[in-house]
Amino acid sequence: MTNMGRLIARPYRASRIGWTALCVWLRYKIPAWWDLLLRRDPKARDLSAVHQKNADHIFDTAVSLRGMLVKMCQIIGTRSDIFPREFVATLSKCHDRLPPREFDVIKQVIEEDFGADLDSVYSEFEPTPTAAASLAQVHRARLLSGERVAVKVQYPDIEHIMHTDFATSRRIAVIYSRFDDNPMDFLPLLDELQKHLRMELDFRREVESADRIREFFVDDPSVHVPKIVRQHSTRRVITMEFVDGVKVNDPAALAAAGIDTKNLMTRLMSIFNRMILAYGFFHADPHPGNIFVNPSESGKPVFTLLDFGLAKELPDGFGMGLFELMFSMMTFNESAMLRAFKELGFKTQDDDNDETLLLIAKRMMSRSDTGTFQGEFTEEMTDEMFDAIRENPVVKVPTDFVLVARAFSLLSGIGHALGQRANALDAMGPAPA
Amino acid sequence: MAEIAVTSSQLEFTFDEIMTEDAYDEPLIAGGVRCHGGYTNGEYVSPRGAVRRPAIGNWQTRLAQAGEPLIAVPEKYVPPNYPSYPQAKFLLQEGIVEPVTRSLTIISIVEGFGARIREVEVPDFASEIEESVEGTALAHLTNGLFEAHARDEAGHRDQGGHKQMWEAARDVGLDKPEIPNDVLLRLMSGPGRGERKRLFPALSETMEGMITMMANVLIIETFAEGTFDWAQELLGDPEISADAERAAHIVNCVARDEVPHVDYLTVALSELRSRTLRSADGKQAFTGAEVIDTIFRQQLRGMATQRPRQNRERMREEIRGCIDDTKRASAIARTFEDLDTGWTFPHTDDEELDILLQPA
Repeated sequence: MTNMGRLIARPYRASRIGWTALCVWLRYKIPAWWDLLLRRDPKARDLSAVHQKNADHIFDTAVSLRGMLVKMCQIIGTRSDIFPREFVATLSKCHDRLPPREFDVIKQVIEEDFGADLDSVYSEFEPTPTAAASLAQVHRARLLSGERVAVKVQYPDIEHIMHTDFATSRRIAVIYSRFDDNPMDFLPLLDELQKHLRMELDFRREVESADRIREFFVDDPSVHVPKIVRQHSTRRVITMEFVDGVKVNDPAALAAAGIDTKNLMTRLMSIFNRMILAYGFFHADPHPGNIFVNPSESGKPVFTLLDFGLAKELPDGFGMGLFELMFSMMTFNESAMLRAFKELGFKTQDDDNDETLLLIAKRMMSRSDTGTFQGEFTEEMTDEMFDAIRENPVVKVPTDFVLVARAFSLLSGIGHALGQRANALDAMGPAPA
Repeated sequence: MAEIAVTSSQLEFTFDEIMTEDAYDEPLIAGGVRCHGGYTNGEYVSPRGAVRRPAIGNWQTRLAQAGEPLIAVPEKYVPPNYPSYPQAKFLLQEGIVEPVTRSLTIISIVEGFGARIREVEVPDFASEIEESVEGTALAHLTNGLFEAHARDEAGHRDQGGHKQMWEAARDVGLDKPEIPNDVLLRLMSGPGRGERKRLFPALSETMEGMITMMANVLIIETFAEGTFDWAQELLGDPEISADAERAAHIVNCVARDEVPHVDYLTVALSELRSRTLRSADGKQAFTGAEVIDTIFRQQLRGMATQRPRQNRERMREEIRGCIDDTKRASAIARTFEDLDTGWTFPHTDDEELDILLQPA
């Protein structure tokens, strides 16, 4: 983007974001003022419809302005512990189906980063991308050696947009806190988002994450992490082995590809168990588009994991704590459940509030098919758990737990599509042969 | 804690009766955690035993009166614990705590997973067994016996079970050692789980699955007796234990709790052994003895040969890794190996295993 273009884009983005924020705020405030005028309790009002309207408005603005806002929405879509379920359901759909950028823009990034012509790095480069997302798009290409590769290229103006959007969002948050008599403190959330996005913008980190996870499974032929072509990867470009495959949640395509789907979910859960519970570093975004399956020689599934932008390090002892929590929920052992909650970093404002933590677990279990926890975090159960957490603001939930619960819930969705259980406890032993 | 008198002729019990606790003077607190069971006149009494204990005795007596034997694992098949007590003691004396801590932690988790016995599916006995199962342990599997077993292993509500008791024994005996961070990885690695081969495909899958699972658990519980002896000896050794008396006592409580598990599984499988099983389509009949003995022998061979061999190799490698990190690595390794008495399974691959049939 030229400097003039940036000058024009900046106020436009700021005003669109500001207008959206104002509309969202007024949609909450006007009914509340009306209730106060009529001496009714604003808290008694059902806000589901307002939440939905606001979520739709934010979604439309994000998709229209793209870039950072889409990414912010995706992250908000993972924070079921903070935002209403209408926001989470709507904004988490801000996924990879975005219109691509022109090839010239992409070519320029590659040539700037490599300091060389595109032709001197790749013998072929398909100008039409195979996927376009909020921060980058992916093209098929071929190296001079003839090897087929996928090239992920970051949009050139993304850092500038991030700066603009965060500055605008901060100003809005400050203004909102002055005008609202009971304001929610958005600034820490914005700080967290900014920190997270900065890390995601550095593709070298994603490369390291992919290498690290590949190393975990070096002896396991059922897991494949595409190899990275290091000499053709930079802060804004990743060149990796090209891998095709069947989407993990498509049973008809899996069958057509000759993949043995028996125990497929147990195998997949075993892979995520190892990352989450044993290694403490995991792929935190296992949506179906990020997991391809191919048949091995015997027809057993080989899982290819893609996109490590959201890979996450877990604190020491987290895996054991989570295992203890799942285990105690399975066995109805309330005292062990409380110990595990606390080990994981759950906090209540006063220490006598143990009953609230147990209530959260009980509400979650009440949404399972059997009324008990069998080792699977279904979407309904995690929704219920986060509803219970939001309704009990005395409870503080560790972010790591939120991300892990979301990952398990995404895996449960895949299991649902396949008609199989995504049971983490069943997958605790050695994986099926 | 109801006062329930069980007569020697009573063979039918409700779920709640099977769960009935004895009246304890005080609860068992292990490592600061309230656990199941408790003390009466200073003596530890296992949980849910007021009715379960005499009930199992009555079913066993009934079998004996019918002249039916009890199935059991001969002692010669029970693999010894690895590392042995002298080896483990030597490691602890050398300051190498990690292997013993890892073993005890894995035991606690595996014990906890014993709770999954409550998920075992039970076939429709009326249509798959020729004779009646009224007044048997079999008829009470889903009417209290599996659930009581599950609660004993993993704890229930506000009470810890064997999982928490093993953790307590470890923490009391080894003075809260650091838990190796590869414990869960260890559980998840190892040779892949093969698909269970059907030995009696004509039987319903549920029937064969239940028998296999029960035989499997009975063998594990029998083998565990060696582990209890090992742990009581080791954690009860004042030269290496932080609180020898207490740690050994907690392990002893677990060992006592396991007795009814071995007993009810033995009685139920033996009851089944004395009956006639119908195929899923109702057209074939098998003697219970043929089915039970075949499945039991197959499970026993796998668990007494391949599994201990693999475990031994893996643990030996891990222990050598820990020893290699020490200053006197070669001397320690030599002594450690000298203390190994080894073990060989007493049958070749094609020999049929003996199953001990004791008079009931």
